[in-house]
Amino acid sequence: MKQLLKHGMVLLAGTAALLHPAYAQDKGMVYYMVPTLLDEFQTGSVSALEMFLEQVGYDLTTLNADNKTDLQQSQMNDVIALAPKAIILAAVDFNALAPSVDAARAAGIPVIEFDRQISSTVSDFTSVAGTVEIGYVAAEQVERLLTEKNGSVKGKVLQVLGDPGDPYTLDIQKGFEERMAAFPEVTIISQPAMMWEASNAGTIVSDQLLANPDIDIVFSHAAHLSVAAVASLEAAGKQPGDVYVMSSNGAPVALQMIRDGWMQVEVEQPLYAQAAAVAMFMDKLVAKEPIEPGEYDVLGLPSVVTDEAWGPTIKIPGAAITPENVDDPSFWGNLKPPAAPVTSVE
Amino acid sequence: MQPSQRRSLEFVLDNLVWFMLLAVLAIFSATVPNYFQLGIFANIIEQSSVLGVMSIGLALVIIAGHMDLSVESVAALSAMAAGILFASSGIGMGITFTPGWLVVPASLLVGLGVGAVVGALNGFLVIKVKMNAFIVTLSSFIWVRGLVVAASGGRSAQNLADELRWLAIQRFLGIPLTAYIAIACFIGFSFMMAKTRFGRHLIMIGGNEAAAFRAGIKVDKVLMIAFILSGTIAALAGWLLAIRTSGATANLGAGMLFNAFAAVVIGGVSLKGGLGALPGVYAGVLLLSSINTAINLMGLPAHYTQVIHGLLVLAAVLLDTLKQTIRKKLA
Repeated sequence: MKQLLKHGMVLLAGTAALLHPAYAQDKGMVYYMVPTLLDEFQTGSVSALEMFLEQVGYDLTTLNADNKTDLQQSQMNDVIALAPKAIILAAVDFNALAPSVDAARAAGIPVIEFDRQISSTVSDFTSVAGTVEIGYVAAEQVERLLTEKNGSVKGKVLQVLGDPGDPYTLDIQKGFEERMAAFPEVTIISQPAMMWEASNAGTIVSDQLLANPDIDIVFSHAAHLSVAAVASLEAAGKQPGDVYVMSSNGAPVALQMIRDGWMQVEVEQPLYAQAAAVAMFMDKLVAKEPIEPGEYDVLGLPSVVTDEAWGPTIKIPGAAITPENVDDPSFWGNLKPPAAPVTSVE
Repeated sequence: MQPSQRRSLEFVLDNLVWFMLLAVLAIFSATVPNYFQLGIFANIIEQSSVLGVMSIGLALVIIAGHMDLSVESVAALSAMAAGILFASSGIGMGITFTPGWLVVPASLLVGLGVGAVVGALNGFLVIKVKMNAFIVTLSSFIWVRGLVVAASGGRSAQNLADELRWLAIQRFLGIPLTAYIAIACFIGFSFMMAKTRFGRHLIMIGGNEAAAFRAGIKVDKVLMIAFILSGTIAALAGWLLAIRTSGATANLGAGMLFNAFAAVVIGGVSLKGGLGALPGVYAGVLLLSSINTAINLMGLPAHYTQVIHGLLVLAAVLLDTLKQTIRKKLA
């Protein structure tokens, strides 16, 4: 009887392990240092990384820095002491975290930069959409929208930045203005929404609508800022399409505004693909094997790994979401995670 | 100094913040392109509504000689509660009523209820448990914001019920209804402070709590009401904020506490308690909104806006300090 019970237990454990392959592999703990949990991209990144890392056998613990550089530095020090398999870092401040990255790597812990690239020191891997590139895509869309509206690339764009202390928004601004410099007939008015706070964006839009009633496009650096912008447009008696609205990051609320007709374009950050890329290369990173440069397919998106001065980097292109493709399930804002599991790169 | 000159000087000192407001409006109108127009002035009044309402509650507690750092987070919690229940996109549950207008009192009650509970908890800990108000409300500032993040999971509630959006869109004489709500609050609470026993007791407690107690004032009861009012009024500010932005995000209202403090101080409320009047606070709020609007229109590089904002607020507080110095010399 005892033998039967013992065999039964073993069989049950084996079956459970087969049903839960990720946990069965139990490759260890990875820490994700998320900069804040105050916006949907960040909370979405936590769930996506959890899901994809589980598929390749790792557990994920997330620490929220609440947008505080010093707190994230302390968290890095604590996590280094715990000796995890790897640290995924989305830095609050690109440069201030560089010494922490060095300390972790010196302790033998691979560091992966997620979403926010650190170029001032070497990391083991970087997975980004490219914030400057998001600015480029936004500029292309502004070019298209202004041509559609005014017959040529001329007009007035109100650019609502996020907090000016956040390099993320400054990079988007840099990419956007770099490309828009080719169009001298476009006036760009840039104002920061302090602390990424929505009502600040609403205030900027309502003030600017009075000072510049001929604004053609409002471009916000995050979807939640566009919500307040649209509320201000509505309060000013505007109808959908009177003033074009676009933003970046691809949050669910932006997709809803496109469906409602208030927003024309949302530049997506490919959240799922960025997270999937980290999971695909995690085994190699933990084993400290080299990452080969070249083209990789990440959830169907052609992506390129390059060797940069700061380490191997995968850049996954962001896409423009418009009324025509808004329902595409591959956009993370539709909250339909890919059904097919990711597999480790051999 | 002649008595008439002294009276004139006292009048100016008593209303210095209003003169500062007029001066600022005149300077910006002359120097900032597009500033001088009715629409901009209406915007200033509108943008003052949320901050103004929040400042009322904060001022009441400060006048009573205490502190409430939780108002910003309470406003965010109230907005999020309204957003989750009555918005239809994102994490909003989109609860509806028949007739639809019932959503207005229902959301207001939910918001105010949330604020009253936090205010009562703050009051209980400060008055009954004798904990330091600064620490208690600092703790509330943190845990209440944490509750907002936890309740929302970092996601947003959008597309607030049409009946609530209607309040944000409707205007009377070019000014949104939400601004009238703020003005009505200032009138109501100014009356309460000046004409009711509760208002007088609050000022007396702030001036000298022990003396007020010896004079037979029920200090604990008055202070408890002040904390509950502060939480409730902050919640009203949050409700207005949700209406203004058609929903709620986890960081809604972030940074507003500091502006509320600035408005209260510029408005002439003493941080030591026992001194201050709400009309002055409203002028302080209008002054900050005027500055903010000017910065929005100046087209300054993003990195300099905070510097200029801070320096202008500092200049306003400096003038207020000068006022106190002159007043002391007059006494």
